[in-house]
Amino acid sequence: MFLAGILGPLRKELADSLSSCRVLVVGAGGIGCELLKNLVLTGFKNIEVIDLDTIDVSNLNRQFLFQKNHVGKSKAQVAKESVLRFCPSANITAYHDSVMNPDYNVEFFRNFQLVMNALDNRAARNHVNRMCLAADIPLIESGTAGYLGQVTVIKKGMTECYECQPKPTQKTFPGCTIRNTPSEPIHCIVWAKYLFNQLFGEEDADQEVSPDTADPEAAWNPEETAARASASDQDGDIKRVSTKDWARSTGYDPVKLFNKLFKDDIMYLLTMDKLWKKRKAPVPLDWHWTYGLKDQQVLSVGGYSQLFQRSVETLRAQLKEKGDSAELVWDKDDPPAMDFVTAAANLRMHIFSMNMKSRFDVKSMAGNIIPAIATTNAVIAGLIVLEALKILNSDFQQCRTIFLNKQPNPRKKLLVPCALDRPNPNCYVCASKPEVTVKLCVHKTIVQTLQDKILKEKFGMVAPDVQIEDGKGTILISSEEGETEANNGKFLSDFGIRNGSRLQADDFLQDYTLLVNVLHCEELPRDVEFEVVGDAPEKAPPPSVPEEEKSITNGNKDSAQPSTSTKAEDDDILIVDSDEEPSSSTTDVSMETGSLKRKLQDAETGETASKRKRLDQQPAAEDDDDDDDIIALD
Amino acid sequence: MADHKTNKDQRYDRQLRLWGDHGQEALENAHVCLVNAAASGTEILKNLVLPGIGAFTIVDGHRVSGEDVGNNFFLSSDSVGKNRAQATTELLQELNTDVSGNFVEENPDRLLDNDPEFFHRFSLVIAVQLEESTCLRLGSVLWNAAVPFLVCRTYGLVGYMRLVVREHTVVESHPDNALEDLRLDQPFPELTNHITSYDLDNMEKKDHSHTPWVIIVAKYLQKWCREHDFQLPRNYKEKEAFRQLLREGIRKNENGTPEEEENFDEAIKNVNTALNPSKVCVSVEDLFNAEQCENITSQSPAFWVMVRAVRDFVQAEGRGSLPVRGTIPDMIADSDKFISLQNVYRERALQDAAAVSRHVESHLQAVGKVCIWGTLHMWNAAFLRVVHCRALVEEYGVDTVHKDEITSCMDNPDSEMVLYLMLRSVDCFYQQHSRYPGVYNYQVEDDIVRLKLCVHSLLQEYGLTVNVKDDYVHEFCRYGAAEPHTVAAFMGGAAAQEAIKLITHQFVPFNNTFIYNAMAQTSATFQL
Repeated sequence: MFLAGILGPLRKELADSLSSCRVLVVGAGGIGCELLKNLVLTGFKNIEVIDLDTIDVSNLNRQFLFQKNHVGKSKAQVAKESVLRFCPSANITAYHDSVMNPDYNVEFFRNFQLVMNALDNRAARNHVNRMCLAADIPLIESGTAGYLGQVTVIKKGMTECYECQPKPTQKTFPGCTIRNTPSEPIHCIVWAKYLFNQLFGEEDADQEVSPDTADPEAAWNPEETAARASASDQDGDIKRVSTKDWARSTGYDPVKLFNKLFKDDIMYLLTMDKLWKKRKAPVPLDWHWTYGLKDQQVLSVGGYSQLFQRSVETLRAQLKEKGDSAELVWDKDDPPAMDFVTAAANLRMHIFSMNMKSRFDVKSMAGNIIPAIATTNAVIAGLIVLEALKILNSDFQQCRTIFLNKQPNPRKKLLVPCALDRPNPNCYVCASKPEVTVKLCVHKTIVQTLQDKILKEKFGMVAPDVQIEDGKGTILISSEEGETEANNGKFLSDFGIRNGSRLQADDFLQDYTLLVNVLHCEELPRDVEFEVVGDAPEKAPPPSVPEEEKSITNGNKDSAQPSTSTKAEDDDILIVDSDEEPSSSTTDVSMETGSLKRKLQDAETGETASKRKRLDQQPAAEDDDDDDDIIALD
Repeated sequence: MADHKTNKDQRYDRQLRLWGDHGQEALENAHVCLVNAAASGTEILKNLVLPGIGAFTIVDGHRVSGEDVGNNFFLSSDSVGKNRAQATTELLQELNTDVSGNFVEENPDRLLDNDPEFFHRFSLVIAVQLEESTCLRLGSVLWNAAVPFLVCRTYGLVGYMRLVVREHTVVESHPDNALEDLRLDQPFPELTNHITSYDLDNMEKKDHSHTPWVIIVAKYLQKWCREHDFQLPRNYKEKEAFRQLLREGIRKNENGTPEEEENFDEAIKNVNTALNPSKVCVSVEDLFNAEQCENITSQSPAFWVMVRAVRDFVQAEGRGSLPVRGTIPDMIADSDKFISLQNVYRERALQDAAAVSRHVESHLQAVGKVCIWGTLHMWNAAFLRVVHCRALVEEYGVDTVHKDEITSCMDNPDSEMVLYLMLRSVDCFYQQHSRYPGVYNYQVEDDIVRLKLCVHSLLQEYGLTVNVKDDYVHEFCRYGAAEPHTVAAFMGGAAAQEAIKLITHQFVPFNNTFIYNAMAQTSATFQL
């Protein structure tokens, strides 16, 4: 009897329920691999696993079910095969697919007694959260980032859901900062990623890279117009065609591209002289380079020029190979794509008098790389299964949110278990009648923005239907193709939407209805299209972050903004609450920081400390008093 | 070769961002020995093989049983009957072809009888599920050979780790609160000269707003000192006044309103950082006072020669300060100004490092050794640490036991300390009965009584007047010495992480006992 080993500590009924229950594992990456192993060896028999990702070399340092010869194959499929090799008796179903695909509807989720997330991005987490709420199936949520990790349990009506606490929206950069006046390396890196898409990938109107003449700061005098006109002569014809078409017409000639991007466009920027009254003006570059470069270091301008040329040539060849209308997808682990961004970003940094960055650092920032190691994932996956056992034992009172520290904290605890919070009655997802108020200008906001930016991006819907509560039930947006596309370009006011209007947004797949109250406002801050009333303001960054932390925690793939990749990138993101969020001026995104209040039940003292600081970053002064709140002074 | 390097860089990209190339190099040079390839052991090794340790050797005399296959991922049903070291080595090896896997089909006790020196060759020895007497024997062999020893155990829903290392030196402790090393309170001459080369009053506007904040603060500190009896701002009030002085330094436009000068904003924000006194921190001071630092012999480990050289430097060239670190934070500045400032610090750091190496050389010469310092990583003297653990014999000795730690923890009868006492009690049970309690279902009731006796005799032996609740005795009998996989997986992650700390000499390992309670998901560390 192989199970003898666990039958002792786990009661027999529980062991029986393990072999009959069905569980879903969402994600077969760092945590997912460990989790599958732990599940089968704990006695779980019926497991389904879903992941749309394929295996990359950089996964192999921790995703132990994969080997070199599996690179490029489906994670879910290979994970299943590897587990079966060792445990042939398990019954595993693998889906190489996105969990957001409508095939995985509420009925699908109801097949399971338990769902476990091993995900890497907020969109999918939001979605699975809603599916589990709709199906009323318990969910275990988890994430890791470097040495840090977290596990929590979500049960409809009993605990907070994943979206009960607003997560700060990621920092985005105003278009004119990216296009005209970059002041930090990250601005140049974002610009270079936009450029990649403009040249080789999917063009996106929000990712313009050429000088922005509408920059309010640059409002010029009439007499200067002549100078500007002559300066823009040479790209006068570029304006009428897209960047991509122009690049194509030159045959992706690296020198022509270089001259336009790093010389002509910069000279054009110089003519917007108001911008340079207080700033140091950029210095256009001439095409030249010298031989002799080393990888992984900060190169000379010549070196980057050469790298730019080489990478454009490689990408051009890739594009050609794929056919005429092909598009490349930027991937940080694809060397030519990474070379291109490193080169273009560094050249721009140089032009704008910034210190250039090594490829290694650019990769961190451009790819929003979260360091990931086997040990943290192993610990977290071990914790997940123990929580799973409590859930299957219907022992929700014993379930905890558990934080894994980098090292034992001043109280000598490596793990910090916290009692689960009750649902937030005002949650816009799990409340009985979810409702939000959105501040926007009805004359300036188009239906497309409501759909894409507000309902999909902000409120995590996948395919919303929207009806105006105007007594007539006017359909504003339909998720059926071909029904309401004509509305997309129209303003909300065109449909009689005004201050106080109520919109009912439905997502059929998520079985989720959200009532949106419109608060009309004429004047929103620059570059802001809408605001959600009562949204938690972004937490002020901690005053000082140690140098090495800056480079390891700078971001995650949830930062939808600078990330242009559409494919699932990396795994295992810390889901909430890290005080190590980057404050560095060189980083682009904040970790998802939840200002979660936390009821800590200390096993030794039974005390409850609310608002416990997640990580004890302060000097390890022996801390025996009850208050762990630390106020960090600058 | 270059290709192999790129391949490795890609494979290890996500971890290089934590411990760097030099940490990786240390891993790749390490040879780890695992005693007993039980589930906890293979989970630990898995987490060391994946990030690429150089080699491992498994020592295990057991034959694979059905139970092993049930909780160990690195065994399959056709391994039953084979030697456990061999069977697991084969499967662990598959995880990473860069790692060399070896095995010894031998009972560790026999190895200790016949060839105790066998264990001297390893960078680290990890023992799991090892019975007490063998563990103590192995512990003393390794203690005498100064080989780090990590004991790890999964017992039902309890995890246990014990680090046994005489002296572990940490080169990069990665403190969470690392402060910049700018020396603005006592600028070195080259820095003073560099500061003097700036004339904030007679500068182009653009240069003024692109002067690094370090220069600004230094300039105004000079001014402040002249006006305040050569005293730096000491308290909040004075610092506030100093900030005000900086604020007044911001250029004004023709209408008298201040310009936006972000570098000045940065300067104001960084006043505290800048005024942080450049003194030798307590933990490094302790190193200087250590005996190993005082008496350098031909046997002295490199770390201590280095510490001594740094101490000599502080007393001589450094005039009370550590060598300059040489790195400065990113700041608003144009490239030229930033780079020249950076160079001032860097040059000084190189000079200081050269001075330290001269001290190293003279010590080595004095003890008749040749300098072997070729590729010393750019380390930082302020981040040096040393960890001393107690030997197992001290923990087990009736006279040397840390009674106070145990008694004070047991003020709370549910402290993780009770789990430690229970583990000791089941070991006592094993000694008497040659088996652990509760392994056979029909004996559980009888075993509860027997285990209670063991608890009492343990407490009596050590003169501990603490109360161990009966619940724990029942619980431990119910465990039947099982090793549930998910607890083993947790311990595999936690222990491997400590192993990586030990091997890379980065981050401070726990000292010296770690207990994990899987039911409550709590953990604690104790000094035993």
